[in-house]
Amino acid sequence: MNSHPVDQYLRTLTRRQLFQRVGLGVGGFALANLLKNDLSAAPQNPFAHFAPKAKNVIYFHLIGAPSHLDLFDYKPELQKRNGELCPKAMFEGKQLAFIRSRPILLGTSKESMFEFKKCGKSGIGISNLLPHLQTIADDMCFIRTLHTEQFNHAPAQMFMQTGFERFGRPSLGAWTNYGIGSPNEDLPGFVVMVTGQYPGAGNSVFGSGFLPSVYQGIEFRGKGDPVLFLSNPQGVDSTARRKVISAVNQLNEMQLDGVGDPEIATRISQYEMAYRMQTSVPELKDISKESQITLDAYGAKVGGAGFANNCLLARRMVERGVRFVQLFDQGWDHHSGVFSRLPGKCKQVDQPIAALIKDLKERGLLDETLVVWSAEFGRTPMGQGTGGSGEKTVIGRDHHKEAFTVWMAGGGTKPGHVHGRTDDLGYGIADSPVHVHDFNATLLHLLGMDHERLTYRFQGRKFRLTDVHGHVVKDVIA
Amino acid sequence: MWLRFKSLIFFFLPSLLLAKIDFNRQIRPILSEYCFACHGLDDPKGGLRLDFADFAYQGGKSGFPAITPNDLEESEILHRVVSTDMEERMPPKGDPLKPEQIKLLRQWISSGARYAMHWAYVVPKKPALPKVKDQEFIKTPVDTFILAKLEEKGWKPSRPEKKEKWIRRVSLGLTGLPPTLEEFENFMQDDSPKAKEKVADRLLASSRYGEHWARQWLDLARYADSNGFQADQLRDSWAFRDWVINAINQDMPFDQFTIEQIAGDLLPNATTDQKIATGFHRTPTCNVEAGVHPEENRVNQVFDRVNTTGTTWLGTTLECAQCHNHKYDPFSQEEYFQMFAFFNNTPLEVENKSGKGVSFDFWGPKMELPSPADKQKERETLNADLSALKKQLIALQKAGNVKYKEWTQQKLEITTERDPQWQVLIPTKAFSDGGETLRIVRDGSLLAEGKPGNKSTYQIEVSIPAGTWKSFQMETMLHKSMKQNGPGRNTTNANPNFVLTEMIVKVEGASKPLDFARVEADFNQGGFLPGQLFDGNLESRNGWAIAPEFGKAHWVRAEFSEPLVLGKDSKLQVEMKHLYGGGRNVGRPRFSLSTDGVKKGEAENKRLRELLAKEKRNGKEEKELRAIYDQENPKLLALQKKVGDLEKDLNKVTPPTTLVMVEMDEKRETHVMARGSYLSPKQKVEADVPRVLNDWKQDWPKNRLGLAKWVVDPENPLTARVVVNRWWGQFFGSGIVSTEEDFGSQSEPPTHPELLDWLAVEFMEKGWSMKHIHKLIALSGTYGQSSRVTTAILERDANNRFFLRGPRFRMTAEMIRDNGLQVAGLLSDKMGGPPIYPPQPDGLWRQTGRNEPKYIAAKTEDRFRRGIYVVWRRAAPYASFVNFDGPDRSACHPKRSRTNTPLQALTLLNDQAYVEMALGFAVSILEQTQGKSDEDRVTHAVRRALSRDPSALEIEVLLGLLNEQSERLKSDSSIAEALCSQAPEIKLVKKLEKDVVGAWFFVANVLLNLDETITKG
Repeated sequence: MNSHPVDQYLRTLTRRQLFQRVGLGVGGFALANLLKNDLSAAPQNPFAHFAPKAKNVIYFHLIGAPSHLDLFDYKPELQKRNGELCPKAMFEGKQLAFIRSRPILLGTSKESMFEFKKCGKSGIGISNLLPHLQTIADDMCFIRTLHTEQFNHAPAQMFMQTGFERFGRPSLGAWTNYGIGSPNEDLPGFVVMVTGQYPGAGNSVFGSGFLPSVYQGIEFRGKGDPVLFLSNPQGVDSTARRKVISAVNQLNEMQLDGVGDPEIATRISQYEMAYRMQTSVPELKDISKESQITLDAYGAKVGGAGFANNCLLARRMVERGVRFVQLFDQGWDHHSGVFSRLPGKCKQVDQPIAALIKDLKERGLLDETLVVWSAEFGRTPMGQGTGGSGEKTVIGRDHHKEAFTVWMAGGGTKPGHVHGRTDDLGYGIADSPVHVHDFNATLLHLLGMDHERLTYRFQGRKFRLTDVHGHVVKDVIA
Repeated sequence: MWLRFKSLIFFFLPSLLLAKIDFNRQIRPILSEYCFACHGLDDPKGGLRLDFADFAYQGGKSGFPAITPNDLEESEILHRVVSTDMEERMPPKGDPLKPEQIKLLRQWISSGARYAMHWAYVVPKKPALPKVKDQEFIKTPVDTFILAKLEEKGWKPSRPEKKEKWIRRVSLGLTGLPPTLEEFENFMQDDSPKAKEKVADRLLASSRYGEHWARQWLDLARYADSNGFQADQLRDSWAFRDWVINAINQDMPFDQFTIEQIAGDLLPNATTDQKIATGFHRTPTCNVEAGVHPEENRVNQVFDRVNTTGTTWLGTTLECAQCHNHKYDPFSQEEYFQMFAFFNNTPLEVENKSGKGVSFDFWGPKMELPSPADKQKERETLNADLSALKKQLIALQKAGNVKYKEWTQQKLEITTERDPQWQVLIPTKAFSDGGETLRIVRDGSLLAEGKPGNKSTYQIEVSIPAGTWKSFQMETMLHKSMKQNGPGRNTTNANPNFVLTEMIVKVEGASKPLDFARVEADFNQGGFLPGQLFDGNLESRNGWAIAPEFGKAHWVRAEFSEPLVLGKDSKLQVEMKHLYGGGRNVGRPRFSLSTDGVKKGEAENKRLRELLAKEKRNGKEEKELRAIYDQENPKLLALQKKVGDLEKDLNKVTPPTTLVMVEMDEKRETHVMARGSYLSPKQKVEADVPRVLNDWKQDWPKNRLGLAKWVVDPENPLTARVVVNRWWGQFFGSGIVSTEEDFGSQSEPPTHPELLDWLAVEFMEKGWSMKHIHKLIALSGTYGQSSRVTTAILERDANNRFFLRGPRFRMTAEMIRDNGLQVAGLLSDKMGGPPIYPPQPDGLWRQTGRNEPKYIAAKTEDRFRRGIYVVWRRAAPYASFVNFDGPDRSACHPKRSRTNTPLQALTLLNDQAYVEMALGFAVSILEQTQGKSDEDRVTHAVRRALSRDPSALEIEVLLGLLNEQSERLKSDSSIAEALCSQAPEIKLVKKLEKDVVGAWFFVANVLLNLDETITKG
């Protein structure tokens, strides 16, 4: 085989050249993949700018935007002035989605389940709606002053995930996948799981934009094939499948001999990888070997589907080296009935997320796994009492872009820490604002990437996730 | 400043004429990469600009010239780039210039530091064909440029491709489909010198050509069948897609093609087709989630139109000047908004239908498509009838006005009559045959407890006080033990419905059940009328039910035919038959009697009373009341029904619509928007085009039509080049300018600039004919070379930028599917019309929001039509297309990536669509090779899939698989059964045994998965 053109070609290329070709897409990338084992001594990732604090990410995006004021950011003054008309400055000339007349201030419910408790040694206040998260407050790192530029769901979701409010840009997960790749070749580097309906912005929130599509998020589905087209058709068992792939690859090898196009070599390896995925994905999805204690802790069910199962799967993914796991959960858009609907949603996610973080910690994975709780924006400290057609509704909260709370855990973030402070009414920022670009720059930083140097050239310009903005929030880094 | 700048242009010499250092090829890329971002048009640091000679020679605020021609000492730039002092060094951040780059700069300055206009902004001139040695290679003029470069490097092109591979390449290249066996044989047998040209002419004349080439244009046009964003509802715009296909098939001159799409509506006496063409710019996404700001939506759409125009025709990233002056190219922010002004005069595209609240729907100008004459006629007649009827209706309603007030008074009196008084009957016995217990509750009701029986019949006895009774009532009451509190105990799905089939009410000791004259219920589910309770019909559905009015108590009241006179200690026996099944039993019945009769329309009366009782009725309530009034007028009712029927008929003959551009009578003012935000308008601007490009001609109107003419003016330096380059990219895998989407200063310089210019001018000279250029390329020796990749080629030119070999690369998503269908013999050639729905996995369409459409896979030939017609939903494009790099078409998409992934393997192996193709292929192989040997069959199959004969080794592999699977399938007939069951839409000819089809499925499956099959090689 020494005289084979592909072999000879490979010898002429340095690893650096290979990665330079990544930008051109196609063969270079595939070849680089093919050669990973042979060239393992060379640096793996072209954008690994410095030693990472976190190796993996598990990112929760609560679609619709949870009411952070009722969960993480208690405001005594707002509580005191509950029911007063809001100050004019909070309404006039402001971009609000639903509210069209000067609204009242809305504190949190007076029911005991909405009370805030000071948790752990850090004494961070978390609502009783999240009793399990209350127990891990000392592992969490809050940013109470995130702010965004968009106040409608779809554009705000895209802004949060791609740094741009319109279609066409790569998502954070895709940038990560492009920047530092993923160590497990038998599983996608960026996996997405969705409970409930899709985000309004559709697949774009985990898409690859102008990056080659290999970097996009691959959805693991609860129903049907976990990965699209994973299972064999009826009448094709795994032995028959093996034979089909062997025949395909035998014929492809003959073609490679005749034509010499390195792309064929890549195709051959991709068919082998597809075959391995047919085993590795079901193995990953099979939680029947997890202990009952673990299953109970998450609230996951063997053979089940849903948020709790997805949390457990997320842990199994990072264990296997999936770089970026993103969970979307629909149903947090509480324009009406925020006090009746929020408890139910909290109940669905509180236990599984807390269990995941504890589980990661016990397995020694939390240090290298960055867990993120986020949403496209927050909710207003003002009440909303009318619906989409102007009809009267039970009170809720409108979209709020001026300030909201997100939190992280593990992955090199400061445990038991709060960054930033909102004003007394929870409307604006009193101290230490964090823009979406700052937040994304910080996440990339934790992963060992410099957001100013993680670039891709497209249409004559080097693009970044953070456009020309963004500052790493050093205060949240341990 | 611009005037001065403009005058400079004339002094720039085209780069070709400069000796030694070529500014555009060698110097501009360095300046662009390291300097222009800070020292360009946008807010230059230190007042220094390096993008034009005058500015650079003069220097910035420091007063030192950055560059002095022929004087290295007096060129500050050289000191700065070599400085080791980080305070001084340029660029201040990132890597320094490489030594060879510094050397180039020095050479350039010492040889005069002459700038040249960026090549792409200089109008192309047709160069003479270069002289070359190897005349054998030259098939069309294109080849001379390619060969000249190769000979300059001392390289030789590859030998001509084998005939069979050539016809497959050219067929795929021009029509996106492989040759049929017949086309293949014909060509193989044709030894005439014109054989290849005949093939090319046939392909160019085929309707398949337009279907193939429309794909690339529709990516640019971001054509899709949905709005994008929340809910992502569908929209009708497919007439535009068909327009593109037809225009390409007709070889519509590209200048006309352009004008009609940008401004067809503004052409004098615009035809229907010219208006349909403007659908090009009605494709932008539109966010209709509640709470959007319509103006923001509109501004975003205009941005999209400007940017897409820039990318599609000018290969220019105008959007870089949206928020600030362009950092690299000579386009100011003001110029961006001057372009914006051309597109700023179309109406808003969302509307708030109710006029209240914050809910929006997609709107905007639509046009009806022309329909056949007979339908048109029918429609006119129907419309005439309808308007006549409507007039009558209005007249009748008007006549009714006179008595309306009086009626409301009367009604008020009637409805305020007291309600019947009901005497609750206390049960004495209660039994169910379904196993549940009926517990007597203190209020006289019976509560069903325990597991609901599937079809229970309740037997109940109640005691009646003495008296004369006129009517009987059963209430279905609520209880917290039931879902949503009841009132039914349905166990099969989530709702608490009941279906009570029959009720038999009898006085104890009587021989016959009681007879009822009139039955009313407060509500009934459609078709489940309360009257059916007492009709003796035991058909399970022939009863009373209440969906979807759950969580509410209901009642049914029945008036006895004769008043019921009873003495002391009388008893009533009630039998309730629930025959529908699924535990749909009443959960808590209660019975009562009244001495009053049942009033007609008692249920309506309740609502009527509510309406009448209101001191002030809002518009909706008044309308409701009026409708009740009108219902008492039989004439009016009959007329309303007629109108309804006519409207339905009319709907059937109403033609579909398509989205078009319409210019508003009154133009909007356009302002520069600070940071690109519509909330921060700055100075007012008028429509105009960037000054660095061709001049505006006085006789053009200052609107979209003028803009379109400017775009295709022969003086426009970009349009023709950008377009021919993109086509070249489709043929060869990459353009002559590899950054097909950008021709600005950050672009990759063309590998063959003279060829690019020659093609661009040839294109314009030959009447902007796309087919002419395509023929030149398709028949070229360059395209027709062997695509074999040798070591020497890899070492010299791994990316084939100099065309040492023919093209070989993976097909696009649509081509892979079309090719598979054609190979399998399944492809339908039906053209045009609404989008099609081939099979895809369930659960992919689940977007949030109102009116989400459903995906229902086609069961007709629509299942097997070409990919260009597949429904394009932006939030969830067709799944297998996504896996093969299909874009979501949310924005202008100038170039698809070409990846090679395991998900692609899984798609071809397992996707239902490809399983069907393999089964269809297997059936077709067997049908067409009856009586042949398996070896002959394999040869037949390979010819169809790859347009060539298989090697002995290949036959061996395929036969091995066939025999192995044949054995397995024979051993267990259920396997073949299962396999074949997966393609319900493929007709299996009865004569074929399923195990034989099943075994050939594996051969077909392998063939459809080969790299060669999905490669245009």
